[in-house]
Amino acid sequence: MKVLEARGVTKSFGGLKAVDGVSFGVDYGELVGLIGPNGSGKTTLINILSGHLAADAGEILVDGKPMRGLTPLRASRGGIQRMFQLTRVFRRMPALDNLVTAGCALGMALDAAQARARELIEELQLARVATLDAGHLSGGQQKLLEFGCCFMAQPKIALLDEPFAAVHPTMKEIMAGFIRRRHAAGQTFLIVSHDMPVIVELAARTICMNAGEVLADGETRKVLVNPQVIEAYLGGEAA
Amino acid sequence: MRSALQQRLRSELRTSLVLLVLVAAVPILVRNDYWLGVLIVSMYFALLAGGWNLLAGYTGQFSLAPATFAMLGAYGTGLLAYHWHVSPWLTIPAGILVAMVVGMVLAGIVMRLRGPYLALTTLSFAEIMRIVIGNSYGFTRGDLGLSIPTLMNDRLAWYYVFLAAVVAMQFGLYALLRSRVGLYLMAIRDDEIGAASRGVNTVFWKTASFTLSSALSGLAGVLYAYFSSLVSPELGLLLQTGLVICMVFIGGIASLAGPVIGAFLVYLTSESLRAVGGVQLIVFALLVILIARFFRDGLWGLARRILERPAR
Amino acid sequence: MLSLNIDLLANGLIMGSFYALMAIGLTLIFGLLQIVNFAHGEFYMVGAYAYTLAALKLGLPAWAGLPVAFAVGALVGWLTERTLMRPLYAGYRSWGPMKDEYAIVVTFALSLLLINLVDKVIGPYAVLGPGLVDVARIPLGPVMLTGQKLIATIIAFSTIIATALFIRYSLWGRQIRAVAQNRLGASLAGIDTTKASSIIFALSGALAALSGGLLAPIINTTPDVGSFPAIKSYVIVVLGGMGSIPGSIAASLILGVLESFGAVYISYDYRDAFGLVILIVVLLVRPQGLFGEKGREV
Ligand SMILES: Nc1ncnc2c1ncn2[C@@H]1O[C@H](COP(=O)(O)OP(=O)(O)OP(=O)(O)O)[C@@H](O)[C@H]1O
Ligand SMILES: [Mg+2]
Repeated sequence: MKVLEARGVTKSFGGLKAVDGVSFGVDYGELVGLIGPNGSGKTTLINILSGHLAADAGEILVDGKPMRGLTPLRASRGGIQRMFQLTRVFRRMPALDNLVTAGCALGMALDAAQARARELIEELQLARVATLDAGHLSGGQQKLLEFGCCFMAQPKIALLDEPFAAVHPTMKEIMAGFIRRRHAAGQTFLIVSHDMPVIVELAARTICMNAGEVLADGETRKVLVNPQVIEAYLGGEAA
Repeated sequence: MRSALQQRLRSELRTSLVLLVLVAAVPILVRNDYWLGVLIVSMYFALLAGGWNLLAGYTGQFSLAPATFAMLGAYGTGLLAYHWHVSPWLTIPAGILVAMVVGMVLAGIVMRLRGPYLALTTLSFAEIMRIVIGNSYGFTRGDLGLSIPTLMNDRLAWYYVFLAAVVAMQFGLYALLRSRVGLYLMAIRDDEIGAASRGVNTVFWKTASFTLSSALSGLAGVLYAYFSSLVSPELGLLLQTGLVICMVFIGGIASLAGPVIGAFLVYLTSESLRAVGGVQLIVFALLVILIARFFRDGLWGLARRILERPAR
Repeated sequence: MLSLNIDLLANGLIMGSFYALMAIGLTLIFGLLQIVNFAHGEFYMVGAYAYTLAALKLGLPAWAGLPVAFAVGALVGWLTERTLMRPLYAGYRSWGPMKDEYAIVVTFALSLLLINLVDKVIGPYAVLGPGLVDVARIPLGPVMLTGQKLIATIIAFSTIIATALFIRYSLWGRQIRAVAQNRLGASLAGIDTTKASSIIFALSGALAALSGGLLAPIINTTPDVGSFPAIKSYVIVVLGGMGSIPGSIAASLILGVLESFGAVYISYDYRDAFGLVILIVVLLVRPQGLFGEKGREV
């Protein structure tokens, strides 16, 4: 059964086709990597899946049901949680309360959300900075915090846009470990990353985009040796 | 267990209540009608400042129309009382309702606007309202204003009515802000797109914040109308909004105590400086600029930083 | 009837040219920092007083008051940038929404400060500046104009054109545009961004002050006279696309004509509200302004 499916999704900015006829689906329990050179349309695709942008053509299906006029609010309430490439935290609110907000907004009672937030902040090893305003956290800590916000309630699917970019190896390991454990417990992920070793390690399946189109979609090992993919990554600038 | 945020709110509530208890005790020593009047007007501004702080400080919606909603509340009440001699039991809720409904409509208008766009739209709205009311001579008597019968002639009674309103506002805001609603509002303030992505219904809560904030302004306006028994477009002057902003910034924006402290401080000082001759606004403007530049969380923030400095 | 309409059109265009002179400075600042300067009207007020007092107190001939107004406005604009705007560039990214708050509060407070300072120092009573020329009425086809209006309009138009040329072709002007487009990029390209910002604020103050000087013989000057031209400028900046100079010139003329006809054909009492209603409607339909573009948000 597919959690999330895109059918012929297209989005242009001016004359530029940022996403061009993209179709794919993610099954329950899958962990899919999404790779592609800079500007290949990964973030734009995530934005469409999470309701932040409206596609020009094509449709998005959640649990097999077509979503018309998906908004960030409806996506979030429908269990599509995302992390932004440029971190978005609530800067003038303590770190812990960032998590509590996410919990309450998805229907948890305040007490329950506070308890859950404490567990989560322990697990992400941010307890030391829990009472600090989120804006005072380091860049990596903010990423980790935003990452945590996606998991206050059990999401149907977590869309993570470059969770490992500019993050110290230790924190990367905290995040990767978290992802591994959740995935083992059945959590579904779509992870954008330029970090090939991590993708190889985590994702059994990988989608590669180039110039808005899906170049390859399949078993990670095979995708990474696909000559077109190598061409896009290495020859992209030269071409 | 209380969160850091809830502890912060609690100490802010406590501070503002200490201040209000002092204010409640003032009439024991001062029986001078003039100074009681000054304190009443301070409390009028405290209501406006508290309402605006909810909207600007906690929700991040930097409206330039708080005084306008006081004016609308006052006219809602005043027109009913002046033209149709309606009983205060009806005119008072009606005035607040007018402010609330218009606030809700304004929220819808500015829903997608942010920063300078929001400021300009609310400013235009404020000016339009004032121009319309000030020029509709037939209905509102324009700049002459409406004189309405007062409810009580006892200044002391008015004093405690205003005080009760301010105290009620503080408790209400405290209850609201320490609940999950407070979190939603602050999330919207810090990052509206992020808030929606986390599942916060930004449209609903922004509307709620606008409506509630306007209701507080409206309440202030209604009370002031009956207290002064005069309703005029001057209530909605941009200068009045400027004063409210000064108060909130000097006292400390985004805190429960700041606006109340600021309202008393600014208005009392302003009346004291009146004798010196029109320098009060110069002083405040300078103070606001200095505060905005060097300590953005105002006097309350300054006090908090001194209090919270780790003891050794 | 026709001659009335031509008269209205002419007067609208004349008013529009003063509006344009006012609004260009606000537009420049918006283009630079994406902030609205709420003290812009006070730049006008300062100019009006500088012009008037140069003649009445210093005994200078009336025309000499215009450069005085221009210079005083430039000084006030420059000081504003030096003292209040600098923090906005440092840590530009980390400000987030605080940037808007800071800019609104600080410029709002500056406006209060200038109004009350002038009120205290010069006094609250209205003053009327000396006219540039004595000619009472000049018939221009079917349109009757006072000499003052005609000359002020000519000066306003020439200044607008000069400013547009300056920004388009001069080295400074090119630097200003580079900084407005991309502060970081411009500084990497070796442009002194701080100097460019100073120039923009000085120019903004100078132009507003000049229009204050030009209107001082027509409109009574009081400490709070700036609120009316300021509000017109806000409307124009929104109409003109928040940062576009040609857009704001067009918007000024449109607003001038619209008000002139509206006052006769719709309602005289509510004439000052027309522009404000337009502002709201424009922002409702296109939150980024009439000619503005939307940036990437997510
Ligand atoms: N709001 C927008 N307006 C104009 N162009 C846009 C907008 N959003 C994205 N684009 C363009 O669409 C293309 C795809 O951008 P996108 O951010 O999706 O790339 P990406 O694959 O996420 O790249 P990266 O790896 O650098 O994050 C780019 O060329 C970008 O310039
Ligand atoms: Mg991207």
